[in-house]
Amino acid sequence: MNSINRRKFLELTASMAGTSIMTTTMPWFNIFNNPASHGKGASDQLRVGMIGVGSRGRSLYWNLFELEEELNFDVVAVCDNYEPHYERAVGLTGGEANGYLDYREMIEKEDLDAVVIATPLHEHAQQTIDCLNAGIHVFCEKSMARTLDDVKGMYDAYKESGKVMLIGHQRLFNPVYLEAMDRIQRGDIGPITMMRGWWHRNTDWVFYTGTGGRGTALDRQRNWRFYDDYSAGMISELGSHHFQVANWVLGNQPLSVMGSGSINHFDDGREVWDNFSLVFKYPEKIHFSYDCITSNKHNGMQVQVLGNEGTIELESNMQFEEFPAEPPSIQSLLQSIEEDENQVVPIGGATWIPDAPIRLGGSYISPDYELNDTLLYLEAFINFVRKGEAPEKLTREGYDASIWTLLAEEATKTGKEVTLPEKYRL
Amino acid sequence: MSNVYHNRFYAMGTRFHALLPGIEETQAERVFYRIKMEVERIESKISRFLPDSDLSKINRTAAKEPVVMDAEMADILSACQYCWDLTDGAFDSTLRPLMEYWKKDHEDSAGEKEFVSIKEKAGFHHLKLDSSLRTISFDNDQVELDLGGFGKGYALEKVKELLNDSSIDQAFISFGESSILAIGNHPAGDKWRIGMNNYAEPGNSVHEFQVNNGSVSTSSNFFLDDDGKLRNHRHVIDPKTGKPHEPFTSVSVSAESPVLAEMMSTAFLVSSDEKIKEVMNHYDNLEVIRVHYESGIAKVTQF
Repeated sequence: MNSINRRKFLELTASMAGTSIMTTTMPWFNIFNNPASHGKGASDQLRVGMIGVGSRGRSLYWNLFELEEELNFDVVAVCDNYEPHYERAVGLTGGEANGYLDYREMIEKEDLDAVVIATPLHEHAQQTIDCLNAGIHVFCEKSMARTLDDVKGMYDAYKESGKVMLIGHQRLFNPVYLEAMDRIQRGDIGPITMMRGWWHRNTDWVFYTGTGGRGTALDRQRNWRFYDDYSAGMISELGSHHFQVANWVLGNQPLSVMGSGSINHFDDGREVWDNFSLVFKYPEKIHFSYDCITSNKHNGMQVQVLGNEGTIELESNMQFEEFPAEPPSIQSLLQSIEEDENQVVPIGGATWIPDAPIRLGGSYISPDYELNDTLLYLEAFINFVRKGEAPEKLTREGYDASIWTLLAEEATKTGKEVTLPEKYRL
Repeated sequence: MSNVYHNRFYAMGTRFHALLPGIEETQAERVFYRIKMEVERIESKISRFLPDSDLSKINRTAAKEPVVMDAEMADILSACQYCWDLTDGAFDSTLRPLMEYWKKDHEDSAGEKEFVSIKEKAGFHHLKLDSSLRTISFDNDQVELDLGGFGKGYALEKVKELLNDSSIDQAFISFGESSILAIGNHPAGDKWRIGMNNYAEPGNSVHEFQVNNGSVSTSSNFFLDDDGKLRNHRHVIDPKTGKPHEPFTSVSVSAESPVLAEMMSTAFLVSSDEKIKEVMNHYDNLEVIRVHYESGIAKVTQF
């Protein structure tokens, strides 16, 4: 992250200190105004381990690498049960980290302060719980777990351990969302009447080829996202990001979810939907409609907040007004039509040009669009680890999103309107 | 009181307002979105800002090899060539490199040398259009086409066809205020009374065009910003000298065809009085005014 963007970001969080956004909606941003103090010496260095260094894990490693010196921590160990991955990861650390095939061996031997987990969904729960029980703070990639009981189990272990447990919904640390949330709460787009979201791609979603095809043991391990035992497919891997956003924007979790899914194009033996459609009902009679498809990318990816006076498009950093003020000349002309009186209106002349860049009639929400939110999240995580605690609301965002991800999956499988079972209510 | 549907969108770097009086809202809405799609289609074809536009592809490739165009693009460039010829080069869509040159300050002799070289390589005569093969090529790699003084008028030409096909007999369209299309009469009767803004006396008009099924296009060497201030962008180049047109000038042309009005207003901004009169003789019902802004006063010449 370049220093100018970084400075602008810190100015933004500083300027918002004390606002309801920073105290209530997104309290975790305060960590950038009050980072944990730490010495620079070796004795103050935090020891961080990584469990899972596949595609996402590797990218998390690069982000950690960027922060190591400034925040005085060290990635001392990496673990992956797929040997080529952990060997590659040890290589990335310049051979300095120890490599493990079994995370239990790693947490036993390494005296870790924190771990970053980026393994397949069904492995998250046991790994997280074991780490928390061993007194290690956890940053776990979203979504939390494959089953509702595992999600709850992770949350209970976190509460009992008193350690930090954060779930990697990186949009929680995106400055665009910070500003957008402020505008929504100020009433810039009027009362929210609906949310819409979609994630459309045109891809077979095969992460690894050469596995022998669907159903082989190697394919189940490498392309785990296709298998019902391991993943809820796009519902957990893509949708969960946006379900979290909807909860957050609406300040509530849903009342219920309905939906349907099918495999209608990539019918290659995968067990998860290649398209689905959901409707979440929220309090205040608000609906959030969401769909995903892997066989058409025309619409791309988006989350829209629709208000009576405007629209916010979170993924593209745009705000649109429903009724922008008409220029005076157009107002005069409209008036002349409404009053049925043909008068000369000075309406022609030099080309009007906007003061700020416009794109399809909207305006940008935040100039800090390009900031790496994953990096900001990890920076915050390390600071929370040093302080020994993180805002409960941040962990709750992960919990609620993970629970409703699995309830949404259930809705698409049963065709029923699914509500939250009491035992998972916090 | 008449009802009127009005809506807007942004395209080609400015705003587009449509007023559709006297028709039912659902019909007006459909027509509006068809208009919007058509304007966006044209922008995506002829914008030099969009890397995938037909124009950008020509600009990237035509100096290396002839580029095959679709029929519409070929028609557009052939119209530009015709107008360039008709106006003795006053309408020239290849002056972008000179515009870029004059955006910077040049005082030393190296600048002068650069200027001479850029001017030599700019000009529509460096383009070769082959109408049978429907290809275009540039004779040097400095040539860059810019349809800025053409696009809004062309879009309104297409909108006019679309309104006609949709049996809309009353409409007022303002594309960035500088390109206006007025269909039918004002709902109160008689032609649309389109005032030309007097920038020396805001809120007043220097001239009134009365239009029915026609258009008014204004070219100026300044833009109007949100504060109502005039800003000279030095974006109007006199093709003869290769230098920016300095005095604050605007030319407004009213014609039945929006694209003709657009091209003529672009050309007449840097044309002599004699040339303007000569070209006007080619067409019926062309109305032209030129306004010079000098020491806070608008001086109007009507041709």
